[in-house]
Order: sequence, then structure tokens, then C-alpha cells
Amino acid sequence: MPTTITEPAADVVILGVGYMSGVIAAELSIASLNNNKNYKVVAITKGPYWDYVNDFSTTKYDEWGVGLGRKYDSPLPLQSTTIRNTPYQFALPVRRYTMPIQYHALGHGVGGAAQHYGGTMGRQGPWGYQMLLQTNTRYPGTIDTINPHNDLEDWPLQYYQYEPYYVQWENAHGLCGNYNGSIDNPGSDASGYPWMSQNYKLPPHPLTSAAQLFQSTVSSAPFNYHPFPHVNALASQPYVNSYGVPVNPCVYDGYCGGPCDYACETGAKANAAYRTIPAAMKSGNFTLVVNSFIFRLDTDPTSGLVTAARYYDPQGNVHIQPGTVFFNGMWGYNMIRIMLLSGVGAPYVWNSDPTLVSGTVGRGLTNGYSPFKGTNVSGTLSNIGGNAYPAGNAGGGSVDIYDLMDDNFDHTGLGFIGGSQIGVGGYPGGGPGNITFAGGVSSASMGPQFKPSQKDKYLQTKTIVSATPFAPDLPTKDNYVDLDPHYADIYGDPLARLTYDWTQNMYIGATYLANKVKDIFTKMGASNVTVSSTVSPGAAHNDWWGHHLRGGCRIGTAPASSVWDKWNQCWSPTVKTPFNIFGAGEITNTSGDTVPSGTHVAGPQSYRAAEGIKQYLGLMTPGLVP
Amino acid sequence: MVDQTRREFLKLGLAAAASAVTASAIEIPLFGNQNSSMQTQLNNANTQLANLKNRVNTVVGFVSLSVTEQSLLEKIVETIIPTDSDPGAKEAGVIFFIDRALAGDYGQSANMFMDGPHILPRIAASNSTPLVVNPTLSWATNPNIPGASTSPISYTGGSISTPGVGAGITASPRVGSGINYQYPLNFREFWRVGLVALQAYANSAYGGNFETLSSTNQLQLLKDLWANTPTSFSNILPSDFAYELVFMTWAGFLMDPIYGGNQNMVGWTYTGFNGVNFGNFYGEGQDQKTLMVATTPTRLKPASLAQYQQQASGSGGA
Repeated sequence: MPTTITEPAADVVILGVGYMSGVIAAELSIASLNNNKNYKVVAITKGPYWDYVNDFSTTKYDEWGVGLGRKYDSPLPLQSTTIRNTPYQFALPVRRYTMPIQYHALGHGVGGAAQHYGGTMGRQGPWGYQMLLQTNTRYPGTIDTINPHNDLEDWPLQYYQYEPYYVQWENAHGLCGNYNGSIDNPGSDASGYPWMSQNYKLPPHPLTSAAQLFQSTVSSAPFNYHPFPHVNALASQPYVNSYGVPVNPCVYDGYCGGPCDYACETGAKANAAYRTIPAAMKSGNFTLVVNSFIFRLDTDPTSGLVTAARYYDPQGNVHIQPGTVFFNGMWGYNMIRIMLLSGVGAPYVWNSDPTLVSGTVGRGLTNGYSPFKGTNVSGTLSNIGGNAYPAGNAGGGSVDIYDLMDDNFDHTGLGFIGGSQIGVGGYPGGGPGNITFAGGVSSASMGPQFKPSQKDKYLQTKTIVSATPFAPDLPTKDNYVDLDPHYADIYGDPLARLTYDWTQNMYIGATYLANKVKDIFTKMGASNVTVSSTVSPGAAHNDWWGHHLRGGCRIGTAPASSVWDKWNQCWSPTVKTPFNIFGAGEITNTSGDTVPSGTHVAGPQSYRAAEGIKQYLGLMTPGLVP
Repeated sequence: MVDQTRREFLKLGLAAAASAVTASAIEIPLFGNQNSSMQTQLNNANTQLANLKNRVNTVVGFVSLSVTEQSLLEKIVETIIPTDSDPGAKEAGVIFFIDRALAGDYGQSANMFMDGPHILPRIAASNSTPLVVNPTLSWATNPNIPGASTSPISYTGGSISTPGVGAGITASPRVGSGINYQYPLNFREFWRVGLVALQAYANSAYGGNFETLSSTNQLQLLKDLWANTPTSFSNILPSDFAYELVFMTWAGFLMDPIYGGNQNMVGWTYTGFNGVNFGNFYGEGQDQKTLMVATTPTRLKPASLAQYQQQASGSGGA
């Protein structure tokens, strides 16, 4: 017979244990120790604790079980999501993980989605933090045409203010890259790459020949772009992080996932379980609660403060975990869902008249890295072949440019803002079905004509270069998250419902950018460089359960339009009481053009939020940036 | 020794009997040549025994598919990946992969969200004929949800600019997204009704069972499913079933042999895939760090997950 159990009160209660929660766990456990406080930090997560090396070292090379079956990811019978394109439609639930599924799976267990991600990392530049201000300043009066029902919200801090937090984040997680700009020029960099006060700790992975060709081509006339090696979080050398946690290097054995498929069996691919949670454990102040599903936050009816988190253990018992301060580090829409279910913050209410919308929790949903069906450009490098079977890792080998993104080129009269980070030459990383199934099977995938197209597909005598660039998805009043009226999770609570379709800015940017990329591919010597036919806005619709969501639970400058303030602290429900719930994650605002960038912008926020919580508890004052 | 050999022959005979049901199993002629000397017979038998052991080490036999499903599905997968001068679905044992999958998590839809309501394909809505669905009690009674009530909710469909116009469920087809499958059936049942419907369509549109049709008509029939040409298909969208057939056939050709398909790694040999041979599994002296930046391809003999685990545990393998 399930029962209700009240746990001893904690000072800090962390909801979900992914990347951001790992930072809070480490920072607060250590700060408590350093201040001679015996504060108790408790973190609760729905999945298990994987012993990555032991659990994965012999079983991860399994496309059917891991890549397609998603056996290490969040089980759909536990909870799913519903999705529709407009508020007039019935939203259908996602019923299965299937191919092409690369962008679908949630993480499960300590480390969260970072256990299977590609490891791409980097920084969001200054423009990404001030898209609305920059657009209104440089292209006044255009935003409402570019983005009908526009709902952009600038960040409360600027890039240079987040820069010290980026350094903390990068040194904890061991990033690989090479910043070739000047560290003496904090204003801007000619490349558009955001200024850094120090270089990455680890060198980039070896470049492929295609990447080197791209690098030499774009750095010459007529482009004169500024290429640099792809930045990622897959350790290229042995490393000891800022908490003293040792990190194994990548062994380049593939099954890493060009898409985000596979767990890492050496720990080279950064995630909380390898970098921050070990530091929290060592402090002695930290308790990790696994296999426990958080379903409510209790609030005080007078002050509105959060008093406890309620969760189910695997036996169905209800646990009540009281706390002083709470950190919402749940993934994506779960961060929104727990607040909507519990009445924390003001729920977003859509209206067909965009001036009549209200609330903030669920507002401003965008898709940071969707499988957007825009304009594709491809070509063939007939003099570069190679091995397309798993080798290397998901994040290395390529070269990127920032020149065609953010506001790094003049957008006057173009009808869109932003652009795309363009990269060429990454290692192969997927499994055998990955190539065949990419994009899904169709009536063309059958019979004596199709079969030979798969012969020796992993032994390439030429390289196909391909890109589907698009300008960033912009928040509108019509894309949002709320609770679904018809479908519930395994415990009976409503699922999150996504109302989302692609926005005009993506399409218009796509055509412009594809033609820019066509020029690059042609100059590289590619043959048969073709740009697929232009897709006009509204001609194709989002039909994916995208898990690179952005927005929906935003950090901003005003309580009327955002959930979190400049300390990642929830705007207070009453003017007098500082609210005791903080949050940071991928969905806390737009994320510029860096690919895929959700983690880039969330990481520094987690250090910022850690300072906010330390101040709330009286462990420090003031922070790096007031 | 002789007895042991006899026992193996008995197994061998069983396998041969099974092959009468499924053309995918290797037919093994037992003592077929009466004129051979005993020594020749023994040599032949030993060769067959080695082949059979190899075979038994993979998978033969069925745990889920019925007899009629076996013969029908056999021809379907061979149509999707035909055998030409290279092995196809038949040699890869794709049907055994699918059989095992249908008996396991895939067939049970064990990792799927299966709760209702189940809104089937082709249900549209408009201002005049809205889709009306009751809310769940947990939604209707949660005090934190604005506008929640127990009243039925109407959906008219349409876009932001033109509500009530167009399809009401979604604005786009959802093939392959995982959202297309909205049936109240687990996959084992879905395949059961799908195969029956396919056979019925073969008879009504092509005048005979699928197995009896020409290879051209077999392929055309599958294309018909993709095009949703059959108008009566057991209440499922024919293209949804076609997706599963093609997806699972290629999966059976390309996934690790541990799941019953890709037998003897013929799918990996065909595509040039390495499995878990990272360059030195058979002592080739290659390494991934070089292979991943090479500009000419290097064919590696594939290794399977089981081989890799045996080698990792020090119990031989390669």
C-alpha cells in the first residue's frame, strides 16, 4: 500500500539532475562547506544513476537498442508530449521513438540528455542576447514585418556580463577549441566569434580533409571569412577540471552519434555525471535521489513561496521534500510542466488577438535546431573520399564560420534577421541504419533499383557536402506550451502540449543563406552544386517532436513577459517577498544562431543562478556581476 | 564422437524440416548422394555440420509469426531487399529479425505511449463539423489551469489567419515523426491486421496471393500501399503499414546479428560497415584516429557485438 513519507528538510532542493543541476549541486555543496555551514543539498531525478563505464563499455555499440530503441532514454510510457501547429487543432501525442528520431529523445538518469548529445558547445555572441534591441536600432520598424505577432524578449544581461560565467562553465566541463581572436579586444572580433577572456582548455580534434579545404577556401578571397575549428565538449586530451575531477580523453571509436544517439563509455563526452556531480558527492553535503518522479511543488497560500517538492518513488509512495530554496533544472517542457501543474508563476494564455495574451510560463516557444525542411544545398567533392563507418566522435573534425550568422553581415532589405553557423567536415559517427534511414524510409527505399545505392555506402570515394541553413526561429505570440486537456502521464497528470509551427524568418533566411553556401561549395571545387527549390513560408509545417526547444520559460527584463529575472530567480508573486525558486536551462530564451547552442547559453546561466542562490542563502554577496 | 555427430545430424534434420516451411532457411541435403563413399559422405557431413553450427549460432525458427504470416512476409522482405549478385533480405535472415522483434518489446509496444484517445488518420475538422473531445478529469479539476472545465472541447482546425479551414487534427502529414502512429493496437496486432489486409488487397487488385505474383507486381503492390491506393485496409492507413514493412526490413538487414537479422553480417559486408571492428579486431593494424581523417576508404571485415564482448572478456572471439 503506497504511503506518504515526509523527508528531512533541505536547504537546497534541485529538481532534475542534468547539466545545469550538476552545476548547482557542485557549487552549493562546496560553498556550504567553504562557509562552514552544514547545508544540505538534495537533488531528485526520474532516472537511474548510470555507471557509464560499467554500464556502457560493452553494450553501447548497438544501433537497434541504443540508437533506435533508445533504451537509455526517457521511457515514453512514463510521459509523452502532444504537438500541433496551431491553437485550432487537436494535438496528437508522440507515441514512439522512431527513425528519423535524432532530435526526439529526452535523457533519463543523472546527466540527462547530455548522456546522448553530440557534444557540440561554444558561445552565443553579443547579438544573441539583444536581438530585439539590435534589430530595432539597426533596422528600425522592421521587426513586426519580419516576425508577425513578434514576441522577442532580450536577455537581462549582455554578453560581456555573462563572459565570466562562460569561463567557469568551460573550465568545469573541459571544452576543446581554439580561439584565434585577440583576448585584448573585449569589444568585438572581426570574425563575429564572441570575444573570450581566455582560450579553451583543450585543443580541437584533428581536422578532416574536407574541413581543411573549407577552411582554406573561406579564409581566401572573395569570402575572407574567419574559420575556426568546431568547439565541443568531448575531451581531446586527459584533463582535470576546475573541481579536480579527472577526465578521460576520447578514444575515437565512433558510436557517438552524428545525431545525438549514443552514450560515452569513457566519460570524454562531458555531462554532469562526469564533471560536477562527482564534486558534489565529495563535499559530503549532497544527497542524490534517483528513480523518483517529481509531480508537484507545494506552495504557501499566503506568500506564494515554494515549500516542498513532491515525488513518486518506484513503489508509488509519495515523498514530500521540504526546502528553503529550489532550483528547477528539469529538461525542456518538463521545466514548464511542473510549474503549470503546481501554479508557480503565471501560466501563458493564448488569444487570437496578440495584444490580449497574458502570462509567462509556456510563452515564447521556439525551436533552436529543428529538422527544418527549408532550402538545401549540396555538392560533390570527387577528390576526397573516406570512411563513413563509425570513427571519431560526434563533435570533431569540422571547421565552422560565424560570418553568416547573427548580425555579422548587413541585413538591410533582406527581410530576415540572423543566419546560420556553417560547418563542414565532421567525422562520421552514426550506425549502419543511420545513413539508410536518415530522413526516413519511403516508397523509394525498396526493390532492385534502390538496393545498389546502399552498396559500399560506408566506403566513400567522394564526399557529399550538404547544408540546410536557416535563419533563427523567432518567438511569436502563437507558439507556446500549455497542459494538454486529453492526455496524461502514467500517474494521471496532464502532458505538456506544444503548439508550434515554423516561423517566417527561418524560410526567408534559408534561401538567402543557401545561395551563400552554394558559392562556398562551388569555390571548394565541388561538382553538381545544387540548391533545392525554395520553400515559402507556410508551405511546410513542423511535424517533428523537436527536442531542441528554446523559450517557453524565459529569462527577461520584465515580469509581464518573462519567468526569470537577471539572477535566474523567478519573478516574485508578491512585491515584498523574493521568490525562492531559480531556474536555468535550454528553454530560458532564444539562443542566437550558434548550433545547437541551447547548452551554450544555459551553462553560464547555471553559474549565474548558483550565485543567485548563494546570495539568497547568505553564502556570498555580491556576485560577479551585480 | 560418433554419437555426438549423430545428435548434430538430428538437429540438422530438424532444421531441414523447418526449411520446408520457410524458404529462408538453408536446405541441407542429408546423404543425398547414395553413390559416395562413406568417407566422402562423412566429409560432406562435416562441412554441413560446420555450416549448420554457424547457422544455429545465429537464429532460425519462429517465435511469433504464424505459418501464413511466415510465407507472406518472407516474400515481402525479399521484394524490399531482393537478392541479386549479393545477399539480400533472404540471406540476412530479415524475417527472423522481424519475428523476434514482434515477439519482444517492439511487438508489445513496450516503449510507446499507448493511452487514448486514439484519433485515427483522415479525421478532419472544420467550423461546420468540429472534432469534439472530452477532457481528462485530472486536467479539468486542476485549479492551476486557466479555463479548465469538464465540458467537451471543440477543434475546428485551420491556421492562425484562417481558423476552421483545412485539416483539423494537424496541418501536415506526420510520416516518420512518431506522431503518425495513432492506433489502439500494439505493433504485433498492427502487423497481424496489416498482413491480412495486404493479402486481401493482393487478391482483389492483383488476382492472387502476394506470394504468387510476379516480382514486378509484388513491388508495385507495395508502392500502392505507400500511395494509399487500397481504400479498404482494416482501418489503418496503408502507408503507415508500408513504413513499418520497409523500416523493419532494412533494420533486419543492418542491425547487429545479435537481434537475429544481418546473419553472418551480410548487410554490413554489403554496405562496407565495420561493426565494432575499430581497425585492429582481426589484427589489421589500423586505428580509428587515422581512419577517421583518411581520404580514401579502407574496408574492414566487420565484427559483431557478441564477438566484441567475447574479445573484451578474454574468451576468444576473433
